Amino acid sequence: MRKSSSRHGHGPLYRGGVGLVWLLAVFNVGVLAWMGVAALREHTAIFSQPWSLSTFGQFGNFAKAWSDSGFGAAALNTVVLVAGSAVVLVAISAPAAYALARSGTRISGAMALFFALGIGIPVQVIVIPLFVMLENIGLVNSLTGLFVLYVALSLPFTVFLLTAFFGSLPEEVEEAAAIDGAGPLRTFVQISLPLARGGLITALILNAIGLWNETFIALVFIQDTELQTLPLALLGFMQTQQYSGADYGALFAGVCILVLPMLALYVWLGRRIVEGMTLGAVK
Amino acid sequence: MAVASATAVAGRRARRTKASAAPLTPLARRRRALFWPFVAPALALYLVFFVGPVLASVWISFHRWDGVGALEPRGVQNYEILLDDSTFLDSFANTMLILVVVGLATFAVSFALTMVLREMRGRKFVRAVLFFPYIVSPVVLSVLWGFLFRSPEGLLTTLWSGVTGATPNWLGDNLFTVICIGLIWVNTGFFTTIIMAGVDRIPADLYEDSALAGATAWQRFRHITLPLTWDVVATAAVIWTISSLKIFEFIYAFGGTTNDMPTVEVWNSALFIYGSTFGGRNPQYQFGYASASAVVMLLVVGVLVVLLRRVMRRAQIQF
Repeated sequence: MRKSSSRHGHGPLYRGGVGLVWLLAVFNVGVLAWMGVAALREHTAIFSQPWSLSTFGQFGNFAKAWSDSGFGAAALNTVVLVAGSAVVLVAISAPAAYALARSGTRISGAMALFFALGIGIPVQVIVIPLFVMLENIGLVNSLTGLFVLYVALSLPFTVFLLTAFFGSLPEEVEEAAAIDGAGPLRTFVQISLPLARGGLITALILNAIGLWNETFIALVFIQDTELQTLPLALLGFMQTQQYSGADYGALFAGVCILVLPMLALYVWLGRRIVEGMTLGAVK
Repeated sequence: MAVASATAVAGRRARRTKASAAPLTPLARRRRALFWPFVAPALALYLVFFVGPVLASVWISFHRWDGVGALEPRGVQNYEILLDDSTFLDSFANTMLILVVVGLATFAVSFALTMVLREMRGRKFVRAVLFFPYIVSPVVLSVLWGFLFRSPEGLLTTLWSGVTGATPNWLGDNLFTVICIGLIWVNTGFFTTIIMAGVDRIPADLYEDSALAGATAWQRFRHITLPLTWDVVATAAVIWTISSLKIFEFIYAFGGTTNDMPTVEVWNSALFIYGSTFGGRNPQYQFGYASASAVVMLLVVGVLVVLLRRVMRRAQIQF
């Protein structure tokens, strides 16, 4: 079907467009490849011979970034923080989303909208009260504080996403369970949650990606080097370079440590990630 | 970044659930007993970490405050100073410039890509490649983008001087333009995916008929693609508005480090708030003043989203 419609209009404009699209794709792949190659090259060669492959094979760059520049410690902080907050986040959001999607009262519709409003609030707008609040309970410059913030600030999106998922599940199975005598709590845990597994995993992954890359909150709330997350480690590394001289090889290695896990996740679960992120717009 | 998804659907859903509220089965009644226990934890966190802080921001914006001492009431003075502060006005203008110019460019490029990708071989692969920057840390993207434009040793600069012979100082002279193009690069994949999903719903025979009738590519775009994807575009526009005002890291990382802000000329509203509170080597801690600009930013989001939804609303086309 598609073929017959495309026989027309294959003018030079279209062919030029195809060329441009491939150019863009090659550019993206190229940037990624350049990052990977530069991470394995010697510092001075990266910019003095930008288009050559000389001095390739400096695996020491990664060792240097990992241990000397604190990317290893930051990676550990980030992994624990991201995994912990994503799981807790989904555990809190799922029951709320289920109640909003299923109870069918007037208040649940209004409240779904109320939660969704939070998506539109830029975190910069509320960061000052948040800072004062956490400072008063001693949670500034602490990973616990960051964990609490990550869970709370990702709630609106997660509730929104999961409400859509629960809403799309067939209700018949739940009704059958109720007729068989299962209470609503048991129905939720044993019927609805397993049915919504796909949505829960999507919510988990999207939040993991978002929090892995999160920089602003960490920048405001974390000061100690030992507590920094990966994006902060990268920014901090660039800062030390101003004093102790640049080492672009190690810098690119650090960039790789941030990007490669996301790339692996994307190659593995790309379709699910893309569908989850664009869900709200195309339904 | 994931938070960039839509608010628009919720409104629709709110209406739908209301309509289905009529008959009450025993299951529904028992479910209702669980409503508050299920919603309460999320609601409590939401109230404490969103609603409370928003109200607090409004309250603080009418005071002078360094975050430590007592709040000093000063009425609307903070807002009056904002209107005279060229740093604020410039960063606000940059925010709007990103919103409108980068937004229009992103949508134009996304539509163009969609029209080409629609009929192209390897479309899934290309779309996946174009989407990828959207899930990479903006700090990383900013660092890589900056390196490409470095003078004289950046990859694109060496290419440029190889072709034209000139070695422009892009990051020094045109930093904001470089940032804007970078933002288009980062966001295009995401919006292409959204628009493509809208275009894919259009029945192929519409295009076949119009092609038989001799419609040009532009006419097909103008009279088929655009009207039939309009609701998707409207939602995407809301998503862009919200996410464009949140842009921070991509610009911030051009300053280079955990402590240094980039030059004032490239600030947007988000950087202005950070710059007048926690940012820089000598943080300003002007909590009252920064809160006033935060309230302005929040109002702008609200007004723009409402306006967009009103302007772009159209009768749903059935097909």
